[in-house]
Amino acid sequence: MVFAELVQYVVTGLLVGGVYALMSIGLGLIFGVMRVVNFAQGDFMMLGMYVTYFYAVAGSIDPLVGALLAVPPFFVLGWIVHRLLLARVTGGDPGRQHDAQLILTLGLSLVITNATTMILTPTPRGIRTSYATQAFAVGPVLLNQARSYAFVMALVLAGLVYLFLTRTDLGRALRAAADDPEAASYQAIDVRTMHGLAFGVGIALVAAAGGLLATYYPIEPNVAGNFIVLMFVAVVLGGLGSIPGAFVGGILIGLVQSLTLLVLPFQLQNTGVFVAFLLVLYLRPQGLFGRRARTV
Amino acid sequence: MLTVAGLGVSYGGLRALVDLTLEVGEGEFVTLVGPNGAGKTTLLKAISGTAAATGTIVYRGRDLGALRASERAALGIAHVPEGRRVFPSLTVFENLELGSYRRAARRGRAQALQEVLELFPILRQRRSQLAGSLSGGEQQMLALGRGLMAQPDVLLLDEPSQGLGPRIVEQIFETIDRIRRERRLTILLVEQRVVEALELCDRGYVLETGRVVLAGARDALLADPRVQRAYLGA
Repeated sequence: MVFAELVQYVVTGLLVGGVYALMSIGLGLIFGVMRVVNFAQGDFMMLGMYVTYFYAVAGSIDPLVGALLAVPPFFVLGWIVHRLLLARVTGGDPGRQHDAQLILTLGLSLVITNATTMILTPTPRGIRTSYATQAFAVGPVLLNQARSYAFVMALVLAGLVYLFLTRTDLGRALRAAADDPEAASYQAIDVRTMHGLAFGVGIALVAAAGGLLATYYPIEPNVAGNFIVLMFVAVVLGGLGSIPGAFVGGILIGLVQSLTLLVLPFQLQNTGVFVAFLLVLYLRPQGLFGRRARTV
Repeated sequence: MLTVAGLGVSYGGLRALVDLTLEVGEGEFVTLVGPNGAGKTTLLKAISGTAAATGTIVYRGRDLGALRASERAALGIAHVPEGRRVFPSLTVFENLELGSYRRAARRGRAQALQEVLELFPILRQRRSQLAGSLSGGEQQMLALGRGLMAQPDVLLLDEPSQGLGPRIVEQIFETIDRIRRERRLTILLVEQRVVEALELCDRGYVLETGRVVLAGARDALLADPRVQRAYLGA
């Protein structure tokens, strides 16, 4: 009986971890390629939730489909935000531009949160689906259907990103630009284009993750704060700049968060996450998948 | 083919290159030697577009001044940078394939890959390994192979011997000589190993503190008493 309960918590953790993994990949990709810490990542996730919500309300589009339909507009949005704002503070001497980047993404986050609150009101909304309150029963273990579908979709999207990064010229160029921008430019890879691509894809992924999250999580303008921290922890846990690391980090966060509930009340569910985070930083400061040092 | 005139580069108030003029003809092998800090790497970076420069750089009748580094590479200028700079988290094959990322090189990619693997058979064995895990010599071969994958018209080589053992250095220089003989590729080589590098070339320049102090054909340079005194220990 105790064992079944443990399995239940592990399964629940894995299911939410899949969605965390997808959002963390977005953040990790942006950091890996651009060396920009995007504080507005959670706010783009929130916008993804709202877009999926309006797809559902206005177009009767199922949020699982809506999450996918959020990808193209958010890719374009990310590309434009990069061109108009981030491109002004990236690409030069990285040491000198970090302050400007931090203030820019932090400011972007504030503007998005507050504009959304003004326009859409702070009232939480939710998408009603037939499967949100249903569960698949596997023996004594229950798998919430909404979370199960969201998990599968997150894995599929993460898999597509992986294929893009490893099997296409453009994806490889993106990784090359992350490894060594100067050497990439000697291979005719335009680093500025790669930044726009990374930001567009990163934003599209977190918006899609938001859409998936919206199948079981209430939508409100302030929702970003609950998730941006988890994303940062996942990315650092996995090793800054590593995409597989961000993925595994996201899954682990879900697991730890869920297992914490075995010993602590719901309000403290992130305590376990931070304890695990500190342990990893203490024992393996480069993160699980991080390289200890860069080759010269 | 490549003409550099009145080139100047400064880093903060420091002048790395001063009014430098240099020419590389079609199919020519030009070597530029000089001590550490003479500005050799800076010159190659200025040509490739990763160091801001004043003066003019003309490649095949086209002024490169307004072009970004990636655009210059797209025109067929392959830069094999100092310190090799392979992409450490990509596999050996991925590194090579990115060498022919430029549009003009994509069609010939498979053919170029075969040729590079024939030059450096070790890279075939290492193909799925991460480039960061290779030895220094293997990384240099990979960097050179990546440059050749671009099927370039001009190859810029920045200190390919740096930090390598004597046997590997000899092998690298032999390969460069072979590439040059087999393909009649235009090459601009920058080196600290004066004798070996000058022996490879048609023509050479000696650079000191950002200025050309000596220029001439290979044999004349090797026989020049100033070169002998300064670099050959004679």
